[in-house]
Amino acid sequence: MLLDFRKLGAWKWALSAICGLMTLFLLLPILFIVALSFGSSRWLIFPPPGWTLRWYEELFADPRWIDAALTSAKIAVIVMVLSVVLGLLVSLALVRGRFRGRAVLRAFFLTPMVLPVIIVAVALYAAFLRLGLSGTLVGFVIAHLVVALPFSIITISGALETFDPAIEDAAILCGASPWEARLRVTMPCISHGLFSAAIFSFLISWDEVVLAIFMASPSLQTLPVKVWTTLRQDLTPVIAAASTLLIALTVLLMVIAALIRKGKAR
Amino acid sequence: MSIIRLALPNRGRGGSGLALAMPAVLLLLAFFVIPVAMLLLRSITEPEPGLQNYAALVGSPTYAKVFLNTFFVAGIVTLITVLIAFPVAWALTIMPRPWAAVIFAIIILSMWTNLLARTYAWMVLLQQTGLINRILISIGIIDQPLQLTNNLIGVTIGMVYIMLPFMILPLLGVIRKIDPSILQAAALCGATRWQALTRVLLPLATPGIASGGLMVFVMSLGYFVTPSLLGGTANMMLAELIAQQVQSLVNWGMGGAAAFILLVVTLGLYAVQLRFFEAREGTR
Repeated sequence: MLLDFRKLGAWKWALSAICGLMTLFLLLPILFIVALSFGSSRWLIFPPPGWTLRWYEELFADPRWIDAALTSAKIAVIVMVLSVVLGLLVSLALVRGRFRGRAVLRAFFLTPMVLPVIIVAVALYAAFLRLGLSGTLVGFVIAHLVVALPFSIITISGALETFDPAIEDAAILCGASPWEARLRVTMPCISHGLFSAAIFSFLISWDEVVLAIFMASPSLQTLPVKVWTTLRQDLTPVIAAASTLLIALTVLLMVIAALIRKGKAR
Repeated sequence: MSIIRLALPNRGRGGSGLALAMPAVLLLLAFFVIPVAMLLLRSITEPEPGLQNYAALVGSPTYAKVFLNTFFVAGIVTLITVLIAFPVAWALTIMPRPWAAVIFAIIILSMWTNLLARTYAWMVLLQQTGLINRILISIGIIDQPLQLTNNLIGVTIGMVYIMLPFMILPLLGVIRKIDPSILQAAALCGATRWQALTRVLLPLATPGIASGGLMVFVMSLGYFVTPSLLGGTANMMLAELIAQQVQSLVNWGMGGAAAFILLVVTLGLYAVQLRFFEAREGTR
């Protein structure tokens, strides 16, 4: 009765209304930012009095924004590669390994995801000040890797669990070496997991704010740090333009991730 | 059989596999476990050995207000997100598929949209000359613009916006698994809709409400970005206090002590959840 949409009667409309309002609540602010980024009002009047590409021009004319975006991309790509490689190794150990304490090890790898980021950020900030890694590319990569790795491990070990190791064994019995079997049989079969892990690791690094604020120096900052410092001064529409580009990238990556999942289902 | 076992790397050979995890273990030890431990250690060694940092945190009304703000906002945000997420998750379970799929995609998209972009949207929407105030004035609910940013109202709205997906998704997972025939049985036994809701559906959804609620509460306790942008320095929350002590005041002892309290509360609440769920699993 309550779990059959057609038999809900008047409650159907109440539920649909709540659901619709919530969807608008989630969606409208995002669309609002996209609209403002093309609006001509410096004071962010909505609806905008006219339309313009001025804020995008200002954004692309400012080398500090470009540098920040390039730094972000560079860090995110390195984090993505390291996170997938380490995540794969850990997943092989957790799913295939035959040692004791795997549950404990798994919990250990997931703790950085559970702890408030601010604690990790402050702790790493202190450590990096001592090690001289503060404000360096290496520092950024390490910090982002620590929080991206749990997501990578969850995704890849999930894919590995659904893959029957007997198939790999069959390849070995047919004459493949163990590493050949892993590379040419197992890898292609769990590739959807690897790709998802790569996308999520990239996004986590690309969007990371709290760690990045503590890792940044005046000469090296990522895009979120640049947005953060600008936001604390004023609400210029240039941020709306930057935000719109970030939203576009997220949509693109989510679509790719969905296509990968679809390809796997086929 | 034993020859085959010897040939196959995934069989036999006890202890194999652990080595593969070693690079990541070392990474986390060096750049997670040890730094966090060092930070916590500084709370009892700086400026001098002792518990004076904790005494100061507990004793002063300034810090009491920070703790009060933190728990108040986390509590309210959890309550509001539960109230919204339950009907939404319920509706998504039973809605015709194309609608449910579109709404689900929007929830996921919102969750992965850049945090600063979403917070910026609310800073603009809620400011004195912002759209929300202008709409409220034009339909005659208020005469003067309301102060909606730089206070806890703004923080609460922004946090609800960000936490909603984290409440909907676990709840959806639980409600989807409920067998519809149980509710049919309730109807056949003469339960009214309201009775079926309060006595059958809600109790069955409780694990989802508990785990989603706990996750939102814990995440809210340690949240930094949204409270500091929408709340302003006068309405500080715990994560901002930690950042301020370390960055502006360079008081590592106090920062470490506040971080330790946040850590203990976070891990303590997760431990309660694990216990709770293990107990539930055990009774089945």
